Amino acid sequence: MKGKDLIHIGVFSAIYFVILFAVAMLGMIPVFLPLLSVIVPILGGIPFMLFLTRVKKFGMIWIMSIIMGILMLLTGMSWPPLAVSVFSGLLAELVYKSGKYKSAAKAVVTNGVFSLWVAANYLPLFFAADKYWASRQNYGQDYIDTVTKLMPAWMCPVLFLAAFVCGVIGGLLGKKLLQKHFEKAGIA
Amino acid sequence: MFTADIENRGLVLDPRTKLAVMLTLVVFALGGTGSGIIAVRIGTVVISILPTVLLLTAKQWKKAFLSGLIYAGIKTAEILLIPTLTGAALSVLGLCCMIFVRLMPSLIMGAYMLSSTTVSEFIAAMHRMHIPQQITIPLSVMFRFFPTVLEEFAAINTAMKMRDIRIGGKHAGRFIEYRLVPLMVCSVNIGSELSAAALTRGLGVSVKRTNICKIGFRLQDTAVLFLAGSLYVLWILGMIGVIT
Repeated sequence: MKGKDLIHIGVFSAIYFVILFAVAMLGMIPVFLPLLSVIVPILGGIPFMLFLTRVKKFGMIWIMSIIMGILMLLTGMSWPPLAVSVFSGLLAELVYKSGKYKSAAKAVVTNGVFSLWVAANYLPLFFAADKYWASRQNYGQDYIDTVTKLMPAWMCPVLFLAAFVCGVIGGLLGKKLLQKHFEKAGIA
Repeated sequence: MFTADIENRGLVLDPRTKLAVMLTLVVFALGGTGSGIIAVRIGTVVISILPTVLLLTAKQWKKAFLSGLIYAGIKTAEILLIPTLTGAALSVLGLCCMIFVRLMPSLIMGAYMLSSTTVSEFIAAMHRMHIPQQITIPLSVMFRFFPTVLEEFAAINTAMKMRDIRIGGKHAGRFIEYRLVPLMVCSVNIGSELSAAALTRGLGVSVKRTNICKIGFRLQDTAVLFLAGSLYVLWILGMIGVIT
């Protein structure tokens, strides 16, 4: 990997994060919170598919994934996104590598796998929930029941699945736009 | 948003100190570690207010005031109101507590960190922590690139509004495509110019890089680190049963 590849990673990470940030502003309204793992993979698929056309060497997708995790840590979304992104990034890298870094179908799946870390943003709300509410028994069982109902445990795998499926949809959308615009402009 | 205001940042902390505070917030405020121990619970409140205090030293009055007020309000509500509430009111307040008491302090800390750390300082700190170049170069490019992306996006947004491509406009269906595609085309072009500029300044060479930025632990870092560290000590003391 040379300096130029690293700069490409930086540029596309910036675009991806700006999209994420714009969507996360919607997430401030609590109802939209679970929707984050639906919207981000779809919109993020557009820059990510363009990024994949630049990927020719092992490690570029992985590094971008780790950087996303670090950014989540820096902006206060806790460590689970970083822990997940290290593995999902490597997995995405291997998926794209199995297509020799040019298979379009594999690229769509790559975006799905890459998007898994978005869902990991919610993990602290699930994992720590019992511990957090268990220490507040004096608030009454009624309270604990109500709050756990808002974030039921089965939501957790559903969010990951949603992130993957929407990642694939985003990949298809990105591929379509790639053909429609970027190849014509000569930058794909 | 993503660029540091060096003149007005007040108390200068080492980037690694800020990172330590962030991790502590994540462990105790968001993670709820040791919340069965009263001393840790009080300590968590103290460390949750710390980002607001740091914002005050950076003269970001509005943000500090707002976040402090929200935190104090919701926390008081959690302590006083929740035992008496039932039904729908309980659900709403429970969700508010989840977001504002647990999540918000670390988000505020993130906002403070981004607005008070220069890219050079951040890279110097990463270097001291022995983070490899493969991570630090993309990160520094990214931080350099944020203002550019936002500037381009604002310009594209204005142009598209003129063509009535906006939410609620005549061509709302094209809202996303007509913004993201031009943004990426110009970002890619700017990116390749940037990489040419960076390569002429020796980014690709494999020698050890230097940095003129001075970072290090000072008195204020010691104080903040002491505060963060004492939480862990209290937690361990509580776990082995010295305090309750």
